[in-house]
Amino acid sequence: MIIAQTVIPDFGGGENSCVRQNKSFCWNWVQDNWSSVLWPALRQHVELTAIAIVIGFAIAFGLALLAHRHRRLETPLTVSTGILYTIPSLALFQILVGFSFLGLNRLTVEIALVSYTLLILFRNTLAGLRGVPAEVREAAEGMGLTRRQVLTRVELPLALPAIVAGLRIATVTIISLATVAAFIDDEGLGSPIFRAIQSNVFKTELFAAGGLAVALALLADALLVLTQRLVTPWARRQRA
Amino acid sequence: MTSTHSAQSEGPSGYREAVELEFADATKVYPGADGPAVDALSLTVPAGAICVLVGPSGCGKTTAMRLVNRMIELTDGDILLDGQTIKNRDTAQLRREIGYAIQQVGLFPHVTVGENIATVPKLLGWDKRRMRARVDELLDLVGLEPDMRKRYPAQLSGGQRQRVGVARALAADPPLMLMDEPFGAIDPITRARLQDEFLRLQNEIRKTVLFVTHDIDEAIKMGDRIAVLRRGGELAQFATPAELLMHPADEFVEEFVGADRALKRLALTRVRELELRPLTGDQRRDGHPRIAEDIPLRDALAELLEAGRQEGVVVDEAGRERGLISIDLISHSLEPRA
Repeated sequence: MIIAQTVIPDFGGGENSCVRQNKSFCWNWVQDNWSSVLWPALRQHVELTAIAIVIGFAIAFGLALLAHRHRRLETPLTVSTGILYTIPSLALFQILVGFSFLGLNRLTVEIALVSYTLLILFRNTLAGLRGVPAEVREAAEGMGLTRRQVLTRVELPLALPAIVAGLRIATVTIISLATVAAFIDDEGLGSPIFRAIQSNVFKTELFAAGGLAVALALLADALLVLTQRLVTPWARRQRA
Repeated sequence: MTSTHSAQSEGPSGYREAVELEFADATKVYPGADGPAVDALSLTVPAGAICVLVGPSGCGKTTAMRLVNRMIELTDGDILLDGQTIKNRDTAQLRREIGYAIQQVGLFPHVTVGENIATVPKLLGWDKRRMRARVDELLDLVGLEPDMRKRYPAQLSGGQRQRVGVARALAADPPLMLMDEPFGAIDPITRARLQDEFLRLQNEIRKTVLFVTHDIDEAIKMGDRIAVLRRGGELAQFATPAELLMHPADEFVEEFVGADRALKRLALTRVRELELRPLTGDQRRDGHPRIAEDIPLRDALAELLEAGRQEGVVVDEAGRERGLISIDLISHSLEPRA
């Protein structure tokens, strides 16, 4: 599945003894291949993740609002998103590829990735909405907020921490999962990782790409935490 | 409260007239329930009066209150606000005209105290300056510092939260207030203070208030009228506090009011309301306890008993002697007048 690429290190000869000896990490290989291999892979990885999170959140958010209003929808929605979540990723990719209208492309990857975000984002959003204290909702209704105003002015702001917490888990999960996606669509950080494994485990490429995935996950997580702090100033102001 | 000015004259919103509230055979039956939660309740709360709904748990007092702002819909009968039925009112609009304060307060944790108080004004589309002025005025009215407006509810004490809750309910100057155990969840000392402050506040703003409590002492203290409800949402008695204590309608009310109802009545009358015995020059008064004329008879009795004396000297605020009070005199005051 992974087609051999041009940048296969030549262990047999060449000037670079570090790469030739396949030492743990060869900085000069990273420098030489940053713009041709690692940077494009990183950019693709960010794209894969962002698309999956944005679409996944849009769907999950809609489902959560639906389940919030119609309680009886909660169980079926939780079960169905839960089933999607439990399918082993490699199996899911394989199943999806089996559909004739899909192929070894980004669309197939995104369908799989989105389906993995749904459970986390749905559950957290719903839990956030349900977590609004009953007396707060009662006071809001009693003062004459309409149903929509209760949702937009009270419930959603109060659900934000739970929603962002869901986004953090989903994002980190998808960044990690998207490396596996290179199995069917040769892009993202999974691509150099697969190639490194196939090339007799070329350690530098493996560690560089893997390290970038980890760094990306940490950075995304940090950014989301920061966002949450900015949008929920009230959550930090507790009485001493 | 520690208001430094008269809210009547300086309110930027101008105080609205209180309205009369009438329950006319108001009935609520929950589907599948054995009997009604509120059973043909009929009573009228005059404009500007505090009516307390009191009774044991399950008597439907909170349900009855929530029928008024249509948090719960009537099954039968009607509720009239200023003579107009509430049944064909838009619920959101109706609620914006009725102040609503509940035991758990339900402040919005994600916005500041100022924004909490301005909730209804904002819904009504007031401009920023008017809202700001109103928030300042209300903070003053309920005895909170102006810089409290920027705090979040989590930064407040229980008593402060209750005050903010009352301020928020008063924000749009509603002609009617619904208060469901608004001072229920706080310690007895703070609670007594908030009750006193609310009564003083009510003297200024004169709202029609429907007040729910399970505590008969609170009912007697707060109410101009008291409606005692029994299980099944039936009105057992609707009377003034003194009438309720003196002539309980039946055994249920008598028991609910308590065996100490004589003492409770003493709490309703102040020393100055009594016809004191005149002071004469030759009486030996050394050792007599000096009793302030603005305390309730119950406290005066306690002071006499504590001093081990039959008599005490009543003094006014300036310390002038007004007359003699005795244990006999106090006990006579409980006898029904001819």
